[in-house]
Amino acid sequence: MPVSSLDRRRFIQIAGAGAVAATQIGCGRHQIALGQRREIPTTCELCPNKCSVIAVVEDGLIRKLNPNPENPKSRGMLCARGNAGLLQVYDPNRLKRPLIRAGARGEGKWREVSWDEAFDYTAQRLSAVKEKYGPQGVLWSSTEAFAEVFFKNLGMAFGSPNIVRHPTLCLASVNLAYSMTFGTVPSFDLLNANYVIMAGANRFEALITPDTMDLIESTMNRKTRLVCLDPRFTVTASRADEWYPVKPGTDMAFILAMLHVIISEGRHDKEFVANYCQGFEQLAELVKQYTPEWAEKETEIPAADIVRIAREFSDAAPRAVFYAGRRSSTYQNDFQMRRAQAILNAVVGNWDREGGMVPNAKIALGEYMFLPWDDPQAPRVDEMEKNFPLAAKGDGAYLKLRENVLAGSPYPVKAWMILKQDPLNALPEQAKTMRMIEQMDFIAAIDIQMSDTTWYADVVFPESTYLERLDPIEVLSGIWPVVVLRQPVVKPVYDTKPCLDIVQGLARRLGLQQYFDYTIEQWNDAAVKELPLEMPLEYLKKHGVYTPPGGPKYGATLNPEHRFVTKSGKIELYSERLQEAGHDPLPVYQPPLGPPEGRFRLVLGRKAYYTHANSTSNPWLLDFAPENHLSINPAAAASVGVADGDMVEVSSSVGAVRLRARLTQEIRPDCVYMLHGFGKQSPWLKRAYHRGGSDAAILETAWDKVSGNAAMHETFVKIRKV
Amino acid sequence: MPKIEWGILIVNYLFLGGLSAGIYFIAALATYLQEKDETAYARIARYGAMMAPWPVALGSLLLIFDLGNWWRFYKLFVHFRWQSPMSIGSWLLLLFTALTLVNFWAWLPEERRTALVARLRLPRWLDRDLAGSRRLLAAAGFPLSVGVAIYTGVLLGAVQARPFWNTNLVAQMFLFSALSTGCGVLILALSLNRKRLDATQLRFLYTLDICLITLEFFIVLPYLLHGELSVEAVRNSLALILGGPYTLVFWLLFMGTGLLVPLAIEVWEIAPALGSGAPLHHNRRLAALAAVLVVCGGYLLRYIFVYAGQLSSFSR
Amino acid sequence: MHDKRYALVIDSRKCINCKACVVACRAENQVPLGASRDWIGEEHRGTWPRLLAAFQPEQCHHCVNPSCVRVCPTGASYQRDDGVVLIKEEDCIGCRYCMIACPYNARFFREDKGVVEKCTFCAHRVDRGESPACVETCPSKVRVFGNLADPAGKLQQLLATRQFHVMKPQTGNDPQIYYLL
Ligand SMILES: Nc1nc2c(c(=O)[nH]1)N[C@H]1C(S)=C(S)[C@@H](COP(=O)(O)OP(=O)(O)OC[C@H]3O[C@@H](n4cnc5c(=O)[nH]c(N)nc54)[C@H](O)[C@@H]3O)O[C@H]1N2
Ligand SMILES: Nc1nc2c(c(=O)[nH]1)N[C@H]1C(S)=C(S)[C@@H](COP(=O)(O)OP(=O)(O)OC[C@H]3O[C@@H](n4cnc5c(=O)[nH]c(N)nc54)[C@H](O)[C@@H]3O)O[C@H]1N2
Ligand code: SF4
Ligand code: SF4
Ligand code: SF4
Ligand code: SF4
Ligand code: SF4
Ligand SMILES: [Mo]
Repeated sequence: MPVSSLDRRRFIQIAGAGAVAATQIGCGRHQIALGQRREIPTTCELCPNKCSVIAVVEDGLIRKLNPNPENPKSRGMLCARGNAGLLQVYDPNRLKRPLIRAGARGEGKWREVSWDEAFDYTAQRLSAVKEKYGPQGVLWSSTEAFAEVFFKNLGMAFGSPNIVRHPTLCLASVNLAYSMTFGTVPSFDLLNANYVIMAGANRFEALITPDTMDLIESTMNRKTRLVCLDPRFTVTASRADEWYPVKPGTDMAFILAMLHVIISEGRHDKEFVANYCQGFEQLAELVKQYTPEWAEKETEIPAADIVRIAREFSDAAPRAVFYAGRRSSTYQNDFQMRRAQAILNAVVGNWDREGGMVPNAKIALGEYMFLPWDDPQAPRVDEMEKNFPLAAKGDGAYLKLRENVLAGSPYPVKAWMILKQDPLNALPEQAKTMRMIEQMDFIAAIDIQMSDTTWYADVVFPESTYLERLDPIEVLSGIWPVVVLRQPVVKPVYDTKPCLDIVQGLARRLGLQQYFDYTIEQWNDAAVKELPLEMPLEYLKKHGVYTPPGGPKYGATLNPEHRFVTKSGKIELYSERLQEAGHDPLPVYQPPLGPPEGRFRLVLGRKAYYTHANSTSNPWLLDFAPENHLSINPAAAASVGVADGDMVEVSSSVGAVRLRARLTQEIRPDCVYMLHGFGKQSPWLKRAYHRGGSDAAILETAWDKVSGNAAMHETFVKIRKV
Repeated sequence: MPKIEWGILIVNYLFLGGLSAGIYFIAALATYLQEKDETAYARIARYGAMMAPWPVALGSLLLIFDLGNWWRFYKLFVHFRWQSPMSIGSWLLLLFTALTLVNFWAWLPEERRTALVARLRLPRWLDRDLAGSRRLLAAAGFPLSVGVAIYTGVLLGAVQARPFWNTNLVAQMFLFSALSTGCGVLILALSLNRKRLDATQLRFLYTLDICLITLEFFIVLPYLLHGELSVEAVRNSLALILGGPYTLVFWLLFMGTGLLVPLAIEVWEIAPALGSGAPLHHNRRLAALAAVLVVCGGYLLRYIFVYAGQLSSFSR
Repeated sequence: MHDKRYALVIDSRKCINCKACVVACRAENQVPLGASRDWIGEEHRGTWPRLLAAFQPEQCHHCVNPSCVRVCPTGASYQRDDGVVLIKEEDCIGCRYCMIACPYNARFFREDKGVVEKCTFCAHRVDRGESPACVETCPSKVRVFGNLADPAGKLQQLLATRQFHVMKPQTGNDPQIYYLL
């Protein structure tokens, strides 16, 4: 049904004057009921936080997204991205219907096809690969999404062990380190803490709910002390009581020295350690060598400050946290560094108490009972058992996986199914990912826009955007977890489908329909069955979020009977399992390599108005930073003859990019920084296409030895004025 | 950082409005100074009457053209808002333009007037001799032309938000500058007249202009002094012409070639009248040059003030 | 004294320059790209490693003596009894005098409509009993919107317990955004 000119006009107003060509929306199935204003609660999808949204829909068009205060995690906030989310729906350059590649890969010639044709063709190509290389020849990769479960299940039902998810690009090492110590990954009660040390995390720009809001609240209103370690003067640093521009990769020395001070001065929580921890003696022995004076040389943080901070921290405990951080794809010893943090937190006893680390509370969702499939026959191509025996097998290890796929060992992987992920930008060493793409017989991507990776796919499945689809109901974990619903607020504007429909379309043609014999409604019915609500689905449709009453609860694990999910059942300061796997059972310091003469360490970090590589084509967001720059300290810039605004070439052993230099005092002279998500190759991403440079193109491949997590701060770049 | 919202069109408008006002004022003065029922400086009065309507009419058109919604300009005359210099100014401008037109009519030679009425098919009753009202029209012109000339300055000077402008000296400066440019145009007109150079009329204009330029100097100086002794924001805003982007235009072009040079020429021109008996030096080229420089100086003043003023603002 | 006087109290220290308020306003009020009704003033000072960064949310101050209203020749700019300064679009001739007269550069010109626009305190939302879009969406709740005329209201409470300043008080506009110190 064509859209009336009146609505076109309104539509253009919504998208911002001139941002959208009027002719682009003359189609689609969406119905317009004039003069209607409705408020529909749903859930944001622009980043992992999944805040609760109330969409204001007028005359069938989304007018505004407002925050939903009922969600205690997102607590009535919606960030810049969440506010700009409605442009996903009305982006004239979005994916609108299924596409099959017509020319060579990357040439950009596409054929618009029916869903049937896209399914048939994909199934046929997947079957061909399966026939030749076995089901393990197909790789299924995805980044967290409510509907990811369907996609993963299709991969497994297909018979492939090669499901790879995003954690080893993101937070695998921190998760593994805390799991190995506490048997679980806790949350941090920043709202009630009196002392927070934040190192290698930037909570005031990398937004995480409720942590960002909690930290503002506590530091600004309750006068919680915030100590920040970061080679850059981030917004978090600017709001901290103390900021130390720590020498990159040496945080562990700082933590070990804190442990040294705390243990040698007997400031640890002796009762807690005795009751709940094991391996304290070995720890005490280990950290004897790590004096503050030694740490000063490593970290460039004055010994006196380390001593003072250690004392203040232990005095404030248990209302004190050394914040775990989120993106731990940083250094090759990241796991051990996070272990050191976990141990530091443990010895001062800030466990499961207000203002400390708190294990996440649970809300059990029901599960829809689908037919089980046989376990895959082949081992994983990334050989997790051999390489990373302690790591979470189901998520895989992305960089090792890429190496093995490229080597064709232990066996060939020749097809790639991708959901909501942009490996060309998310993985370091773009050229290598490109080679992986080139050696694939077949690639299909499920996305909402023509990402760089999608640009090289053979089949493109356009998923309906989050405002147009019903997703599986999810629990957002945390100290105070909630249940959230994502429901469509408008009908799909174009010929797109939600993930489950795409999975089912493929399953049917692959002969796997028996495993996906349900509707999203049935799935959700099953999920909410157990909730203590009379009409749970109706409730969620009306409120968007279900919050269990009572607020956060503390102390459930604080009884000597409690068994932690570790080998010893205790909090493992010393880990036998690590030792068995050939790793240091206690965090032993390994100094990082420094940049060679004339080179600089490339460090990464978020900006509050962009998500990863995926929102730079949103006009409302791109407005804030139309291209990325190389941030460099003036002293460093002078040493390489670069002035503010100069075009520079930034190169490493794996690639080079060009972008403009921006001189800033807010970074260490031995580091440089650039924002992720620019230098796009896909011309459909009109606004970010060829603007600035892509960090992925110059990041070198390296990973953490224990978890397999990518190590993205280990690249030393050369800078040359061009 | 404030942006430039009022650009060259507004500069032109302020200049042209002031120019008309100046021309009219001087011409009215010339009309008013009568000797034995005869206008003392008839040529000045006539030239002035012939020229005065057009700059202001053009300027008003430019102003309307500069509006975001030019077809709504009539709204200016639906409301009267005494607090708004622009509202007062619009009304002043309307009355003044009407007056200049009537005055033009009153000075138009009879044959021309009749021919015009016929050619433009104007109503017959317009073909009427108003020569008798010239003195009245001149008298009415004093408040209106001074009002218009002052208003172009008040428009800026009334803006508290821009420290560069916010002093009553701006209005006075604009007034004297407007009168001076009017003088300049009349000097130019007289000196371009091939037939004859009328020494007494020229001397009248020179004397007037010398006074006006001198007055301008005595306003610029207190303006700068005042500013320098004023609050920080004003001092900072003065930096725009004392070491900032407009320094060169202000000192060299405005103060130098726009005021000093023409002043020197004019003084030299009337020097003989002061000493020996000769009425003037009578250098046609120099007279024209001085006149052009005066007019350019007046334009630059508007330019500098409109632009620099918008860049000035209070901090914090 | 009216029984309503809308105003903002802003705790700039809490601002993390996330720009949520800017996008929220753009969405709520269909502000075209290239202009904003609200913005974040930034100040970066110092040399490495002694640094300071401050962020200050800004928008129209809904002045008690609004110089924009005073200079408007058509009355398009006006002030409501509750203090909100608005622009009647249909009366605006686009002369931009008000922009020049605003000490806070709070106004901008809309090329597409030929009129001047600025923050309305989201009067349409406020009149429905909601809070302004920028106030509502902020993760830090930096802005507190309310009725200054209410002696028991949250604004008066904040101003009674905290020190504050207003921007550019010299202009005599009596701006109604109170920045907490
Ligand atoms: N706005 C926004 N918010 C987000 C996201 C987003 O894309 N946009 N993404 C979400 C996701 S998936 C994640 S994983 C999280 C990431 O959340 P964070 O991990 O908090 O985010 P980063 O920005 O990666 O922070 C890394 C910081 O570490 C600093 N750093 C680099 N090297 C060192 C070092 O050796 N020592 C120390 N102490 N610091 C160092 C960097 O300068 C940078 O400021 O953010 C989440 N929130
Ligand atoms: N150089 C560099 N690399 C990094 C990081 C970094 O900071 N710098 N950060 C790392 C971290 S912490 C993470 S978590 C990863 C993230 O890595 P990715 O998950 O690859 O990140 P995005 O750039 O968000 O790409 C997501 C893709 O999903 C698409 N998408 C968005 N919404 C939807 C939807 O509703 N449906 C579907 N089907 N698709 C959708 C987007 O269009 C985009 O193509 O990147 C990691 N890699
Ligand atoms: S933080 Fe922003 S982008 Fe992420 S879910 Fe919340 S509103 Fe959406
Ligand atoms: S939303 Fe709040 S924290 Fe973010 S920029 Fe605006 S005022 Fe600052
Ligand atoms: S801030 Fe400017 S626009 Fe707003 S009321 Fe005051 S003077 Fe007018
Ligand atoms: S631009 Fe519009 S609102 Fe502003 S002064 Fe002119 S008429 Fe009034
Ligand atoms: S109050 Fe409304 S109009 Fe004003 S800045 Fe905030 S969102 Fe924009
Ligand atoms: Mo991440």
